[in-house]
Amino acid sequence: MYRGREGQWAFLLHRLSGLAILAYLLIHVISISLFMFGENAYMTVHRLYDFWLFRIGLVLIVAGVVYHAFNGLRIIVMDFTGTGVAYQRQMWYGVLAISVLAALYTAVRLYPRLVGGY
Amino acid sequence: MPETYPAPANAAEGVAMMRVNVKILRFDPEKDRKAHWETYPVEAQAGDRVLDVINHVKWYLDPSLTFRRSCGHGICGSDAMLINGRNRLACKTLLRDVAKDGGTITVEPIRGLKVEKDLLVDMEPFFDSYRAIMPYFINESPPPPAERLQSPEQADRMAHSSNCILCACCTTSCPIFWVNGSYLGPASIVQAHRFIFDSRDQATPQRLNIMNQNTGVWRCRTAYNCTEACPRDIPITTIIEEVKRAVMYQQA
Repeated sequence: MYRGREGQWAFLLHRLSGLAILAYLLIHVISISLFMFGENAYMTVHRLYDFWLFRIGLVLIVAGVVYHAFNGLRIIVMDFTGTGVAYQRQMWYGVLAISVLAALYTAVRLYPRLVGGY
Repeated sequence: MPETYPAPANAAEGVAMMRVNVKILRFDPEKDRKAHWETYPVEAQAGDRVLDVINHVKWYLDPSLTFRRSCGHGICGSDAMLINGRNRLACKTLLRDVAKDGGTITVEPIRGLKVEKDLLVDMEPFFDSYRAIMPYFINESPPPPAERLQSPEQADRMAHSSNCILCACCTTSCPIFWVNGSYLGPASIVQAHRFIFDSRDQATPQRLNIMNQNTGVWRCRTAYNCTEACPRDIPITTIIEEVKRAVMYQQA
């Protein structure tokens, strides 16, 4: 493992969250479009999403989307201004804080569903 | 002039010695299929450089150890290595900054380039990218009787990028370069910046076009490893961002 600093982990998380969002979007489109084959096909797949891993996944996908969005803003600021490059570390910690807060908020709002299912 | 000079302090008394284990990633293409770690216990001073320690290993413990070094003063750029997980010049890294007494330091070859033997890598792809950016001054106008003058401000514009010694610390710390060897890499972009922002150079549009290709400046994903690794303290990411903006505003 190369011992890079904040920038390297910001880049890696940006890639991973981007891939996670892409995977989520594909699953989302495919499972919704199953309605073309009737309600039965649709519900068989959607009942799977009650599995605990998918319920926790809801919190992670919120964290991923928020991270990707705000880190994207960080990258825009860095690309267009010199001060953005100078303060990239501080901005990254800000992005992390916002992502964690968003994940916590989701966890609190979804608490009954997270522990008890639908 | 004083009459007598103080006697030189006894090395064993005056200087604290430390023991370190030097863990080196060895690879001999004639014997090994895979690289393997080899550890050498070394006694050295805290103020010794990592290069001194590796020289000690080669001279007194295992003469087959292969690595590049030339000037030993951080200016030729030969001894870039991955020391304790970060790219550094072995001759600019003091032992006390990377190891404690009784501790271990790890030394690996720089990544993303083919390892020829031990710490020696094939630098040819690196210099191919360097050649690709036209690293020479282009000005077709007839030379003036004396120098082509620059104002101090114009010289400052390229002051950082002309500090580069092409040691490859930056390029081989870049996660994009590790997976995509066709990316020109931070070092070449720094070199391009040196000519793009040279007020006397006339090939700026051509240079920006090279930077605009898909092996050029847009491959940079701002991971900042290059800036952290640079032994010359060049603000590499800032420089790459400046080139990105120059390419973009040229097209606008």
